[in-house]
Amino acid sequence: MSGSERIPLSRREGGSKVLPELASILYQFGTNAAFLLLSALGLIVILGMMNIINLAHGEFMMLGAYVASFAVHRGIPFPLAVILAFFATGAFGIVLERLVIRRFYGRELGALVTTWGISLILAQGALLLFGPYMPPIPIPGGAVSEGVFSFSVYWLILIGISIVLVVALTLVYRATPFGLQARATMQNPSIARSLGIRTGRVYMLTFGLGAGLAGLSGALLAPATSIAPFMGQQFVAPAFITVVVGGGANVIAGAVGSSTFLSLIETPVSLTLGTFYGTMALLVMALLIIRVLPAGISSLGARLRPAVAR
Amino acid sequence: MTDSENFPASPGEIEPAQPSAPCSGGPTRRGLIQGAAGIAAAGVVLARPNIVRAASETPVKVGFIEDESGNLSIYGIQKLHAARLAVQEINDGYTLAGGPVGSGCLGTMGLYSPTPPTLTSGPGAKLNIINDGGTPSEHAIVTADTEEILIPSGEKGLLGRPVDLVSSDGQSNNTLWQQLARRMIQQDKVDVLVAGFASAEREAIRPIVDQRKQLYFYTNQYEGGVADGYTFCTGAVCEQQVIPVMQYMVEKFGPKIFTIAANYNFGQLTAAWVRSFAPVLKAKVIGEEFPPLEVSEFSSVIAKVQAAKPDWVMTLLVGQNQSNYYPQAAAAGLHLPMASTVNMAQGYEHKRFTPPSLANMHNAVNYMQEIPTKRNQDFVARFYKMFPNDPYLGQMAQNTYFTIHLYAKAVRLIGTTDQEKVRRTLEAGWAIEAPEGTVFLEPATHHASHYIRLAATDEKQQISFVREWPMIEAWWLQRLGVNLVRHPEHKQYTPQEDPFFKMFG
Repeated sequence: MSGSERIPLSRREGGSKVLPELASILYQFGTNAAFLLLSALGLIVILGMMNIINLAHGEFMMLGAYVASFAVHRGIPFPLAVILAFFATGAFGIVLERLVIRRFYGRELGALVTTWGISLILAQGALLLFGPYMPPIPIPGGAVSEGVFSFSVYWLILIGISIVLVVALTLVYRATPFGLQARATMQNPSIARSLGIRTGRVYMLTFGLGAGLAGLSGALLAPATSIAPFMGQQFVAPAFITVVVGGGANVIAGAVGSSTFLSLIETPVSLTLGTFYGTMALLVMALLIIRVLPAGISSLGARLRPAVAR
Repeated sequence: MTDSENFPASPGEIEPAQPSAPCSGGPTRRGLIQGAAGIAAAGVVLARPNIVRAASETPVKVGFIEDESGNLSIYGIQKLHAARLAVQEINDGYTLAGGPVGSGCLGTMGLYSPTPPTLTSGPGAKLNIINDGGTPSEHAIVTADTEEILIPSGEKGLLGRPVDLVSSDGQSNNTLWQQLARRMIQQDKVDVLVAGFASAEREAIRPIVDQRKQLYFYTNQYEGGVADGYTFCTGAVCEQQVIPVMQYMVEKFGPKIFTIAANYNFGQLTAAWVRSFAPVLKAKVIGEEFPPLEVSEFSSVIAKVQAAKPDWVMTLLVGQNQSNYYPQAAAAGLHLPMASTVNMAQGYEHKRFTPPSLANMHNAVNYMQEIPTKRNQDFVARFYKMFPNDPYLGQMAQNTYFTIHLYAKAVRLIGTTDQEKVRRTLEAGWAIEAPEGTVFLEPATHHASHYIRLAATDEKQQISFVREWPMIEAWWLQRLGVNLVRHPEHKQYTPQEDPFFKMFG
């Protein structure tokens, strides 16, 4: 496993046994981190930036998966279906924000109870309207093998997509006028308003973006899950853990840091002791980090470079 | 279901019909017993018409808890609908054929005994009967299965009273299950409780059932071992499913087994069965994984299976999240033969996932809607006529269906809904003609024998039944010496308590 040698993604029997092992560990680490990051994507915006404890996050992801399944089974190619899921869930988020969420800004517990109610209505509503499951989406791409191990091409693509999405989100918030206005509004709404920023519109669009991103990741993860009314529940805990462990000093960097760190713990433990202990290790580690760094992993960076604010 | 369907048109209509109606079959032993039951019921009706009229206002309450929402709703809704169908049929004046045959007298219960079996072969062959569990031969012996199992019961409702299904949604939440069980027993005062999907749910409510001496049916397939005087378990258990499927898999694919099981009592205990029976079949469990129910991303499990290189994989995965294993494993290029005791027959994964996620899967089931027999296809047609939009009719839905009919038959025989008396009556050794085949409720252990078929999928995830065992008894509690009739107890035995499990391994 010298640095110059590229990993050949082909079957090489009798060759080095370390190389496939390494590829397998890297792959598992990548999928674990991508899973956490994709689960958290919408929540990064809604919880991390707007400070709304959105318990309907999982149901937004479910909506995205439902839209994608609908679209795919009406002949629309999967990539387009994913984009459609983003806009549909985003539009739904905007409507929801106008009707309900905007009445709960600054009232965290009120928003928590409300979004919980919304999550129940959405999941049970999906069950009543569409039945207990939706037709599945076949996983695009085949598998590549390395030694005894073989890896899903689609998960490899997902790892790439999650990196692209994080970079894009950072750019939106760092390099566009909307991002500037959004950051200003979240930091101090009254001053932002006095400077002529239409804060109501910013809130609406930010919530819509968060919902849309949740729908997008729901659609992206849909082929690897069973698409059903209560599928959102599996993402809620990983999403909250990732965002909370990441912390609020720099939400996006924090989420990247926490998903990397947590899967760095989870992967080897799962591999050696089993999935049960892997999950335990992840939870214990999340607990320790919140105990030691109450403001999350991103507060480390903020401590080192105090000038960088959100 | 409207009220008019629930209630007999008027009590007066029942009375003249009573004396002649019950004897629907020939002069078989079962027919006579049913006749006796009907006459007993009729006697009550004729002697005290006024009281019956008053009683007809109070329905027989069948308490029913299943998960209509939440992670497990995909199973709960099927069971609820099957229960509705059974109650509807009872209120419409129907019952399933069958009756008490006496403990251990299995030979008396054959549907085929009055006339010799019809032997045919060739293209018209409908049902393969294999005597010793071998693969179907080319010249299959086929027994025509044309007899109607749904027969008139002689009355609309039960003892002149309508049957009401009092159902509640457990929401896949064990705490809520306990509250609902308490409410049903104390407040609704149900005459019988039919409830429970996950073993955790059953164990959550069983202490409440015992404390209140509530007649309780658990209709799920499960890990086995419940020896409880108040509980009847009508689903298949490990000895009926694990051993047949393992035997087939080892023969066909090889001795190296990898088990992936949900990390709670069902998964752990079923995995223990697999481990202890492997040496008997000269096989070996070379790896085990117990993912918690919350896990929905399986890359490390898949890598472990790949590294271990088993001949086949035993998957005992439960719930929404864990079914993600199948598409993920298929996408990662893991195409090993699979076996299970739960998947497909309950959560119809072969219908929900695109091929090849569920290709080459094997499960020894007591029921799947694909069973080609006439009696089953009639049942399937009745079900979808009532619930045209339902996606699947699975194992536990069928168990729930025949269980409620079985309860009604016992009540009709003893002529009361008194729970203690009905329980004693159920301990008479009942055989009932269920859609799967004949089911025998063994009195001493409160468990049922089943007709087991080995379902296998091809690359397109189409089901075929590759082996059949017309009757497998739930023998494990018998070997442990459980006799609930003579020595009531209220516990669940685990394989650790049986020295046999360590004998070979």
